[in-house]
Amino acid sequence: MRLYEHEAKSIFRSLSISTPQSVLVGSLSELRKVTFPVVLKAQVLLGRRGKAGLIQGADSLDEALSILQDMIGKRFDGHEVKAVLVEEKVDVEKEYYCAATIDRIRHRPLLITSDQGGMEIEEISRVHPETVHKRHFEPGEKIEPYVGREMASRIELKGERLVEMGAVLTKIYTMLVEYDCKLVEINPLVITTDGRILALDAKVDLDEDAMYRHSELRRLGIEPRHEVGELNEREKIAKAAGVPYVELDGDIGTFPGGAGFGIAVLDLISHFGGKAANFMDSGGAPSQERLRLMIGLLMDNPNVKVVFGARFGGISRCDDWARAVVQYVTETRPSKPMIMRMVGNMEKEGWEIFDEARRVDPEPFKNIKIYRWDTPIEEVIKEAIRVARGM
Amino acid sequence: MAIIIDEKSKVIVQGITGRNASLHTKFMLDYGTQVVGGVTPGKGGEEVHGVKVYDTVRACVNDHPDVTVSSVWVPPRFAKDAILEAIDAGVRTVIVITERIPVHDMLQIRRRADELGVLVIGGNTPGVISPGKCLVGMLPKVVFTAGNIGTVARSGAITYYIANSLTLSGFGESTSVGLGGDPILGSNFETVLRLFEEDQETDGIVLAGEIGGVYEELAAPFIREMKKPVVGYIAGVVAPQGKRLGHAGAIIEGEMGTADSKINVLREAGVSIAKTLSEIPELMRQRL
Repeated sequence: MRLYEHEAKSIFRSLSISTPQSVLVGSLSELRKVTFPVVLKAQVLLGRRGKAGLIQGADSLDEALSILQDMIGKRFDGHEVKAVLVEEKVDVEKEYYCAATIDRIRHRPLLITSDQGGMEIEEISRVHPETVHKRHFEPGEKIEPYVGREMASRIELKGERLVEMGAVLTKIYTMLVEYDCKLVEINPLVITTDGRILALDAKVDLDEDAMYRHSELRRLGIEPRHEVGELNEREKIAKAAGVPYVELDGDIGTFPGGAGFGIAVLDLISHFGGKAANFMDSGGAPSQERLRLMIGLLMDNPNVKVVFGARFGGISRCDDWARAVVQYVTETRPSKPMIMRMVGNMEKEGWEIFDEARRVDPEPFKNIKIYRWDTPIEEVIKEAIRVARGM
Repeated sequence: MAIIIDEKSKVIVQGITGRNASLHTKFMLDYGTQVVGGVTPGKGGEEVHGVKVYDTVRACVNDHPDVTVSSVWVPPRFAKDAILEAIDAGVRTVIVITERIPVHDMLQIRRRADELGVLVIGGNTPGVISPGKCLVGMLPKVVFTAGNIGTVARSGAITYYIANSLTLSGFGESTSVGLGGDPILGSNFETVLRLFEEDQETDGIVLAGEIGGVYEELAAPFIREMKKPVVGYIAGVVAPQGKRLGHAGAIIEGEMGTADSKINVLREAGVSIAKTLSEIPELMRQRL
């Protein structure tokens, strides 16, 4: 889960990593009591904000208000600016790069520094590879302060600055491990003309699977949330229920099973010439209530012409799935056809549930086809595409 | 022979008293897997489908010194503890069903497993099956047939569809291994590929990956050295960039994580890439 700059900086300050003086504003009227000049930074989870005009300097209140007016409530690449961080403009003597992250090839945490801050790390590595210094750690290893000082001396710092920068680098690595981060990046980390070491920017990616053990983040106002972009009504419902669901621009609703196969279904539909209306992860042994909600999301999406569904019972059971489908269909009697396939654990019980429901109340099942293990999944998908085309 | 598990495997179930673990313990027993004990701290002395429950892995291993495999079903916040407990008690293979284990926990688990030469499969794996011999995990036995193909896949359901597709085409599997869907895994593809390469019952291998992470790319150098043919399938060709799709592994991170990158790197290493699941047996037939 990526953090907004102001959230990341609030963690920095709690660890005594200094940031420029700042105030977070959500509306024009909140902009008071700042000393000019300032820098206004739109709080959106987008890279290269400077180039997009999302970071701008202002020398006076009027100028700042006019910039704020152009930022707050506006959308950039689908991201709405809900808040702007107004920071003191600092005089920079030199920019550095530093990051702590996980090397996923060597499976070790890693600290990276360079004295060529301000550029993206990819660019620094390309243009000035000799300035990029890396230090790997053993998983779970605590950092000793001398390691930070060593890293600081490699970026050519001396004296008091070496000691101070060493402490900052040590804290950045500590934050990676103790806050369960996947990335802590400060670019640029600057030394100001008046000798302060300040984090001018902040990119932090938290491991959402470890949020449960970080109540201290809640105290800083950081809550688990959806990764990127804006959600429509159905995506909001899905999110509230904890169902991974992303709408796309096609007409075949997908109710596929687990995430990996959910991704494969998008490929298969596209391969055979159709277009999926959504990605969904309906695996992981969902309850019947969740399953009914999932079907409802697809049926309620006006772009959906047909629902493709599959259950390959592993940890998610066929009988649970069948009960949820039957209950949804008999209660809401959907007009949209459903083309599905069911196989796997508790399959026999699943078929009994369908057979019984059809016997008692056949009418709502007229539009519903469920295939067995001996029909390849590709054939089921092709049929869903034919139905979507009205063939 | 098969790899990782066979008819001689002695298996324990950590977290056996949970709903899923208990149901799948029954399925494993029905399949013929020798489940010799279960572990749930504080519930020692109970029984689940006739399997004795212990408070600790060590107590279980004391009664059953021949335990070879543990399967871990505990909630994610207890996973590191459970896996390290199994390793510490001397279990040599740990199959981790639990999903969404914190990344830093997995790094530490890998480190300990590497130091001691323990095989950790998962997390977020559906398990491992050597059809006709042994099943550890929650894979649906109905679609698996014994045969000479080894499968290793990141996603659970894709593992099942591959088995289904192979079975429908007259193939079967020596062993099918769910590598796991979490972002940091206990084993790389290469570890499993090496076992298949040496396994006398395996003649060809299916490798199924998906967008996100670097595990598929990391397998390429070893695949180049392999004598046995590898057929690959990569999910996520049309996945929208930058959107989190379900489990944490499926995030596109940099060039290396894209489907195109994985397909190109694997193809250059000699892997035949299938575009659909039904193409997998066709390509395998051509390569064998």
